[in-house]
Amino acid sequence: MRRKVSVIALNTILLLLGVVTVYPFVWMLSSSFKQNSEIMALEQHLLPQTFVLDNYVNMNAHFNFMRFFANSLLITLVVTVIVVYTSTLCGFVLSKYEFKGRKLLFGFVLSTMMIPWCVTIIPKYSMIQSFGWMDSYKALIIPAMFSGFGIFMMKQHISALPDEILEAARMDGANEFYIFHRIVLPMSKNGISSIAIFQFLWTWEDFLWPYLVINSEEKQLLAVGLKMFNGQYSTDYGALFAATAISIIPVLLIYLFFQKQFIAGIASSAVKG
Amino acid sequence: MKKKLLAAMMATVVAATSLVGCGSGAAKKEAEEKKVEVPTEPFGDTVKYDPSVEINDGKDITVELWEWGSDDLFQEVIDGYTAIHPNVTIKLVNNPWEDYWTKLPLALDGQKGPAIFNIHNSYHENLINYLAPLDIPVEDLQADFTGVDAHVIDGKVYYIDYGMMTGSVYYNKQMWEAAGLTEEDIPKTWDEMREVAKKLTIKDGDKLIQAGLNFNDDFHQNYLLGLNYQLGENLFQEDGKTPNVNSDAMKKVMQMLVDLYEVDGVGSKDFGEKAADSFGQGQSAMVLQWGHYYNTLKTTWSNIDFGVFEIPTFDGEPYAYNRYNGESTFGVNKNAPEDQQAVAQDFVKYFLANDDAQVAFNLAMSTFPAKKSLADNEKILENPSLKVLSEHIDHYIWPGPMPSTVETSLKKAGEDIFFNGVAIDTALDEAQNNIIKDMKSSSFESVENLYTYAK
Repeated sequence: MRRKVSVIALNTILLLLGVVTVYPFVWMLSSSFKQNSEIMALEQHLLPQTFVLDNYVNMNAHFNFMRFFANSLLITLVVTVIVVYTSTLCGFVLSKYEFKGRKLLFGFVLSTMMIPWCVTIIPKYSMIQSFGWMDSYKALIIPAMFSGFGIFMMKQHISALPDEILEAARMDGANEFYIFHRIVLPMSKNGISSIAIFQFLWTWEDFLWPYLVINSEEKQLLAVGLKMFNGQYSTDYGALFAATAISIIPVLLIYLFFQKQFIAGIASSAVKG
Repeated sequence: MKKKLLAAMMATVVAATSLVGCGSGAAKKEAEEKKVEVPTEPFGDTVKYDPSVEINDGKDITVELWEWGSDDLFQEVIDGYTAIHPNVTIKLVNNPWEDYWTKLPLALDGQKGPAIFNIHNSYHENLINYLAPLDIPVEDLQADFTGVDAHVIDGKVYYIDYGMMTGSVYYNKQMWEAAGLTEEDIPKTWDEMREVAKKLTIKDGDKLIQAGLNFNDDFHQNYLLGLNYQLGENLFQEDGKTPNVNSDAMKKVMQMLVDLYEVDGVGSKDFGEKAADSFGQGQSAMVLQWGHYYNTLKTTWSNIDFGVFEIPTFDGEPYAYNRYNGESTFGVNKNAPEDQQAVAQDFVKYFLANDDAQVAFNLAMSTFPAKKSLADNEKILENPSLKVLSEHIDHYIWPGPMPSTVETSLKKAGEDIFFNGVAIDTALDEAQNNIIKDMKSSSFESVENLYTYAK
């Protein structure tokens, strides 16, 4: 009986927390079908009193939404794939190879996570400028190719793989390239899913760096476009909510497909070492 | 299966949006293809633009123009210019307002920054070192535009104002009529304003239902930094650097605000958190707001039937009616290559000489034209928020690009008075000391002495 009560209490608390977490999103989605005057009205309703599609129809008034969306998707996918590959590769080397300075190297990787971005952004900007990479996707992709967090996560994850499997493969004549691509990568599915989700989300949401280095409208990303709704004196909330609602679809899809592996990956990286 | 279904639904939404995007794109293209009239004769007042003069020896050149907010407005000017000079391509780069001020100085620091960029005078100190002086004689600018003197630095002008924005009173016409008021009741003095505000106030017992006047959240910008001029006091002392915010005039203005809420009861610090929103929400009958509010009412609060009248005065004969702030013309990047700078200079001249562009920019921003010949322009006077300014526009003062501490310190003073019961004298003294401390390293110098009717 006591157990039943505690289960009900726990579920109620979780339900309440769930509602608190999801409500702003539902409100935003619903508000994307309202006029601005209704969004700003004194008397608030969750559902639109006057249902309008204008916010979706007029999204392009501020910028070419689909172009920005496609650019973001391309950059996010490219960066995510590269980071997943480099993180797994570095994680494999740092966890399964014995060499001098390995710990120092790993410490160096960790230290990159501890420097705030605001310290590095100006020198990074100057470097990109002097390389002549401004207004080019090289400025978005190349500096993002290696992730300290990704390497850390994958090192933790791969170190949990039994050395015996790798040794057996070597004895069967497999070279290191084969071992990495045919054994380590498939066995790191959960860790890779976690990194993929994190990296996808971070790249998709990143605003400041793409804004600083990309000038051309045809190359600009969606996170920058969403900021265009905030004017000097007012904000077009309806259009902003409509664009935001569409912009989170790729993130939702990624979570939807990888959530099981994501949870398993996070758990395993957290406990193994 | 469920996942697949959901994914398919989301994909459909994205596809549908892309169709919407295509539609809007087609409309945009159509607008872009709109024919532009090409002038053949020189135009302008004193600053004249001669379209027959070739730019960059007729050779192809591309420059960037960075701005925030109004793509179509800028594009129209660019289209007009490039129709005259087809060898010039001006690439418009739109930016979000807030972050523009982070990106722009970084870009201007190198040699590949934009040749032309939009300026706001509140960022004057951050930008002035990147600006090339305008290639137009100062006296020509002075002949055509109001307020040029305030922009002269060592005999050179780097940008001027194309428009002046200031405060006017917006009133809800329905509430006005419901209170039995007519056009005849539009107040000219603050005493009359207080009486009208009382009539517009609705209470249920002690509970406020409708505020006659609301100044919550923006009283410092719209009242404290402006009404002092009506009483003959500047915001800065004679040296142009020491603030004057604990003057008798400021105390009188502050006392009036306190009395409006606490004696007259026409509003409350706890009723309608932001005056501008409260008016749009139909909670408050009158607000004193700056020109941009006209556009906000037209777009966000289109259901409100509103009227506008000029700011009241204390005695009908003010030293100045209010403070104004200028909307600035473009800047020319001094680090840009010389050929690009030449195009930028030419483009600024085209913009200043072009009356259609001046009218379009002023209407878009709800600013009164700084170009003297446009003061009685028909289209400008059709905008009620500009019409009310036309009679006394020369009686408004620009103090210069004040550091933000002046606003924030006065806001804190007002909040201390309303919410913490601090005495007016004490709160304003504290604001005065705070501004002095914050401005120690500022190069700001007031230009109040350049006001046409300066004492």
